[in-house]
Amino acid sequence: MDLTPEPNKDEEAVGDLSFDPKGMLDADDGAVLTRLAQLVDAMDPVPSDLVERSLFAVTLAGLEADLMEAVYLDAPLAGVRGAAAAARADDTAPAEAKTITFTHDSLTVMISLSPSAGGRVRIDGWAAPAAGLDVELHRPGADVVTVASDEDGRFSFDSVERGRASLVVRRTDGGGGAVSTPVIEL
Amino acid sequence: MTGSREALPDVDGPGLTLGDRAAIALTEYREGNHQALGDLVREATPLLWHTVRAQGVDHDAAEDVVQSTWVALVRHADSIAEPKAVLKWLLVTAKRAAWEVVRKHRDDEKRRTELPDDSPEHPMALPAKDPLPDDEVLREERDRLLWMSLQKLPGRCQELLRLVSLADRPDYRYISAAIGMPMGSIGSTRGRCLAKLRTILDEQGDFSWT
Repeated sequence: MDLTPEPNKDEEAVGDLSFDPKGMLDADDGAVLTRLAQLVDAMDPVPSDLVERSLFAVTLAGLEADLMEAVYLDAPLAGVRGAAAAARADDTAPAEAKTITFTHDSLTVMISLSPSAGGRVRIDGWAAPAAGLDVELHRPGADVVTVASDEDGRFSFDSVERGRASLVVRRTDGGGGAVSTPVIEL
Repeated sequence: MTGSREALPDVDGPGLTLGDRAAIALTEYREGNHQALGDLVREATPLLWHTVRAQGVDHDAAEDVVQSTWVALVRHADSIAEPKAVLKWLLVTAKRAAWEVVRKHRDDEKRRTELPDDSPEHPMALPAKDPLPDDEVLREERDRLLWMSLQKLPGRCQELLRLVSLADRPDYRYISAAIGMPMGSIGSTRGRCLAKLRTILDEQGDFSWT
């Protein structure tokens, strides 16, 4: 894939200039850019926890697990995370199960998140094709919790504290490499 | 972005650019010091976010693309030949991943709807999803003017200026090279895109920007 478009096209396209492109940046340039940054951010704010999730994902990168890809359905379920965050902020929000699907090569893992006692979260998961799997739950600053799947590929974590988390899935027979989900917000 | 942007970017002063800090972060990470990389994640995530979103990736998928870009960086930390190019590497990696998401999404759409005019072989042709001027956001006349003026620039100029504005110090050298618009070797000149934006703004009226 060629990532380098012809650089000169825009040079010609900008047309007449009353400011010198070779001039040094002045205070007005700085002010325009600052204002622009505020507009860009206001139009489409960076999700508030994206930095923290990225930092946690970086610490998990050392696990040498291939990153799975989250699959999002169109509109109706597109806001699973936003809805979870909203539920946390507002206890009156309806408590309903959220489902996220992850894929890597032939492996598919689907998890369903539902409220459990004390504001915690229950994770029910299902992996296909069914195989003996060890599923590790990684959370920042907490010990890793590992559960084994049953022969149908089902697994669960009964009561998990809310917050950032990633699942790492390994086959118990040691076949294939480990895979991990992106860091998600429970 | 945080609310700590009241101060003007220090455009004239000496100091390191984002590209320099990215290079240092990678070098230190290789030596086992992870602190600078954490700082880089905090600083450059907004650039990656807006780069990915500009390719037409939806909100949830964009979060994963940004996250996996950072994971890819640490996985490739030892194989990136030129630390000076790490900011470019990040932006290009994020953009490629975004195109891949867009392509897959289109393929899925095509399977479902059989649109005859779909062209998955040209994912780059997808227009950036520029939000329409929003009364909530563009409260001030000055902001409306700025946003409308930006829309009059060529697409890549818009992209460049959005990214440059997000860096806490205008950093043409790395960012412009990263999106395929080399601006020459001097990092602190205005450049054609900003010169054009200033020209358009100037034609619109007498506003004070400082």
